[in-house]
Amino acid sequence: MFPVTQRLALIVLVFVLAVVPSRPLSAQEVDGVTLVKASLIASTTTVVPGQPFDVGVLMEMAPDWHTYWENSGDAGLPTTIKWQLPEGWQAGPIQWPLPESKVEPGEINTYGYAGRVLLVTTITPPTEARGEVLLRAKVAWLVCKELCIPGSKEVELRLPVGKVVAPDHTEVFQEFQSQLPSVSPPPYRLEWGRTGDLLELQITGLPATARTQFFPLPTENQTVGHPISLAPDRIQIKVQGDLRGVLSVEDAATSQSWFVQSKDVVPAALPVPNTGLWLALLYGFIGGLILNLMPCVLPVISLKIFGFIKQSGDEPRKILAHGIAFVVGIFTWFLGLGLLIVALKAGGSEVTWAFQFQNAWFNVVIGSVVFVFALNLFGVFEVVLPGKAAQAIDTASSSTGLGGSFFQGVFATLLATPCTAPFLGTALGFAFSQSAFVIMGMFAAIAAGMGSPYLLLSAKPGWLRYFPKPGAWMERLKHFMAFPLLATLVWILSILGAQRGAEGIVWFAGFLLCLAFACWLYGAYVGPLTRPLVRWTAIALALAVAAGGGYFFLGKQFSQIGIVNSEGIAWVPFSQAALDAEQAAGRSVFLDFTADWCITCKFNERTAIDTPAVRTLFAERGVVPMKADWTNANPEITATLKSFGRVGVPFYVIYSPGIAPVVLPELLTEGILLEALKKIP
Amino acid sequence: MKTAFALLFALSTLAFAQVENGKPAPNFTLTDCAGKTHSLTDFKGKTVVLEWVNHECPFVEKHYSGGNMQALQKAATEKGAIWLSVASSAPGKPGAMSPADAQAKCTAVGSKATAYLFDSDGKVGKLYGARVTPELYIINPEGLLVYQGAIDDKKSTDAADIAGAKNYVQAALDEVLANKPVSIAKTEAYGCSVKYAK
Repeated sequence: MFPVTQRLALIVLVFVLAVVPSRPLSAQEVDGVTLVKASLIASTTTVVPGQPFDVGVLMEMAPDWHTYWENSGDAGLPTTIKWQLPEGWQAGPIQWPLPESKVEPGEINTYGYAGRVLLVTTITPPTEARGEVLLRAKVAWLVCKELCIPGSKEVELRLPVGKVVAPDHTEVFQEFQSQLPSVSPPPYRLEWGRTGDLLELQITGLPATARTQFFPLPTENQTVGHPISLAPDRIQIKVQGDLRGVLSVEDAATSQSWFVQSKDVVPAALPVPNTGLWLALLYGFIGGLILNLMPCVLPVISLKIFGFIKQSGDEPRKILAHGIAFVVGIFTWFLGLGLLIVALKAGGSEVTWAFQFQNAWFNVVIGSVVFVFALNLFGVFEVVLPGKAAQAIDTASSSTGLGGSFFQGVFATLLATPCTAPFLGTALGFAFSQSAFVIMGMFAAIAAGMGSPYLLLSAKPGWLRYFPKPGAWMERLKHFMAFPLLATLVWILSILGAQRGAEGIVWFAGFLLCLAFACWLYGAYVGPLTRPLVRWTAIALALAVAAGGGYFFLGKQFSQIGIVNSEGIAWVPFSQAALDAEQAAGRSVFLDFTADWCITCKFNERTAIDTPAVRTLFAERGVVPMKADWTNANPEITATLKSFGRVGVPFYVIYSPGIAPVVLPELLTEGILLEALKKIP
Repeated sequence: MKTAFALLFALSTLAFAQVENGKPAPNFTLTDCAGKTHSLTDFKGKTVVLEWVNHECPFVEKHYSGGNMQALQKAATEKGAIWLSVASSAPGKPGAMSPADAQAKCTAVGSKATAYLFDSDGKVGKLYGARVTPELYIINPEGLLVYQGAIDDKKSTDAADIAGAKNYVQAALDEVLANKPVSIAKTEAYGCSVKYAK
């Protein structure tokens, strides 16, 4: 036994341990509310050995409490994640979504997250991973309202290792990954200047309505002042030396951000991750291979091979030489095409070409091209090389010898254009957004894919018998190939939706409808057998439909999205409380019940409500413009609509002190609205 | 409109003064727990340390729980320096205490500061540009500001980090007391925001 004094000490120790509570690190509770709920989730159901995947720490903060960004600002502390992974597993850095900037009394500026945030980390498993994996991490944070409380939690996640993967938690990953600053340069010109301590950033090429914000990422011990926005395109920061940070640009419908550094005046080329490049090259090769199955290519293959055999008098080496010459011809054609793209790209400035997918108009063009090509594959219309051109090409390549085979290779590709154009055109479009190196690589991969059957068959002509026989299935395959193109279109629409909202998609789809009609006109009435009068009328009509659709849907509507609105009325979002408050203050309110999917609403807003005359009258009469946005279900708005006996939008009411609410007609005109506003006492 | 906002913002940041190293530290007069007033000018000819404090802040807690801050205070005051803990928490906000409670707290933690001063309206905090707790300023015997910033280089709330941290205030104090120029005179303070009223 212990001596008495030691026993006493032990008792005291046990007592102290029992009474003094350990610091409430893991279960942070204030008034019964857990301040931060942290959990670990993965973007996949299964881990594939050697294949990196994303996991994220999902942090849900209690209302009014916030945690911090990687630069917490004047106060606070960034959240940290310490990984405890099995041997051979690697975790990347935290990928921080764009934070919110918060200014506390005393001009204390902090950067952090309220509500919830997903801190994504890429995990790379070893190639020999098997069975099941336990991912563990210690997440530590500081959560503040006015009080700050440090917290931490051990989070863990078990995942099976296997081959069949399905994405998981896609919605939340997408939500926060879309808020990650981009590592590619922004599509604007950034000019950095310095006067003494002050670093100034000048941005050119911003949309007129854009709001900008700069989030500094100082190096350790670099002190940085608060970024000051002198104007949306001019930001000033007091700092010594070069500064890294995140520039965010918010437009009516979109919010994007980029990592920027004060010394990079000219944006560098788009970095292409290596794995992405190899995958792209593989797809290029497969794409080229598929080109051979197109109706206008497949029958030609065996003819060509037989031609080689005939010319070479059955001598295997000669056959192979012809095959090689032919394939070199294919390569020449594709690499030539690639060079053309590179030259075109170099012609436009780097800034405008490298970021087309961030440019809504580029997406409109590519989307239209993809759609027309899909119609072409479905057989709605066909592109036929003019007979004379085809003949000329044929004669040029009919010379015998290796040179002949080379030219045949060049022209076979050209002659196959009616079938291959949809794919090549699409590939070309995407190629525009890549570096010269990637473009040439892609085209070489396509050429290799398309040329490989010729090479194989000229080496082993006997294998011709294993070759798929031409037949009706080719036509079906062609039709089928339209679906991947339509899927591409869906993807482009999703980008466009993020850029210009639901309205953008609707107007663009309107234009696509016109294009479809024009293509159908062309396909139905333009062919070698139609009379010239019918043919030219059809062409003229098709062009008129396409041009008219372009003028109205794109020129008039699409291009106007967000522009009129944000310059114009400063809408107050509707809530019954806000409405009551305005009325209590004795102000008149114009209440607009609207929704993004309601075309009439948008039309009214553009033509009747957000006009200079109405804006002036709103200001003169002190009318508060209030918007009840019903785009997503909102019970409060539904209830208010019901109180007027309405079940839908548009709906317009003017509330004035002392009189009953005035209901305006659904088909609103500027005149009606002005008249009603003038009647306000 | 946007330009007007930007100008307003720029002006408001100008109004929020920041003191500069090598310049005279602005004078102030504040009361301590006993109701006694202290002015910076009272301590002419002495080295003065200003420590922005808030005992509800985990960063402050980090340095008091293990005795780190008290040791600094003891080392400074034993060598004749003045140590003023300044609380700029507005009434009702975290860290705001009655003089009696503050006195009790100082005794409980074993503070070795010369005085605990109340800056409830935040005027002195804003005058010095104090943004966080703890944030420290050192004024040399000539009344010039020679250090402003963090206590050390380990931005955390974990007291275990103190052992491996480089203590900027200790280093600067040693240099000032030895009549040498301060080698690291400005650092980025870390901590909780000072709980100003407005």
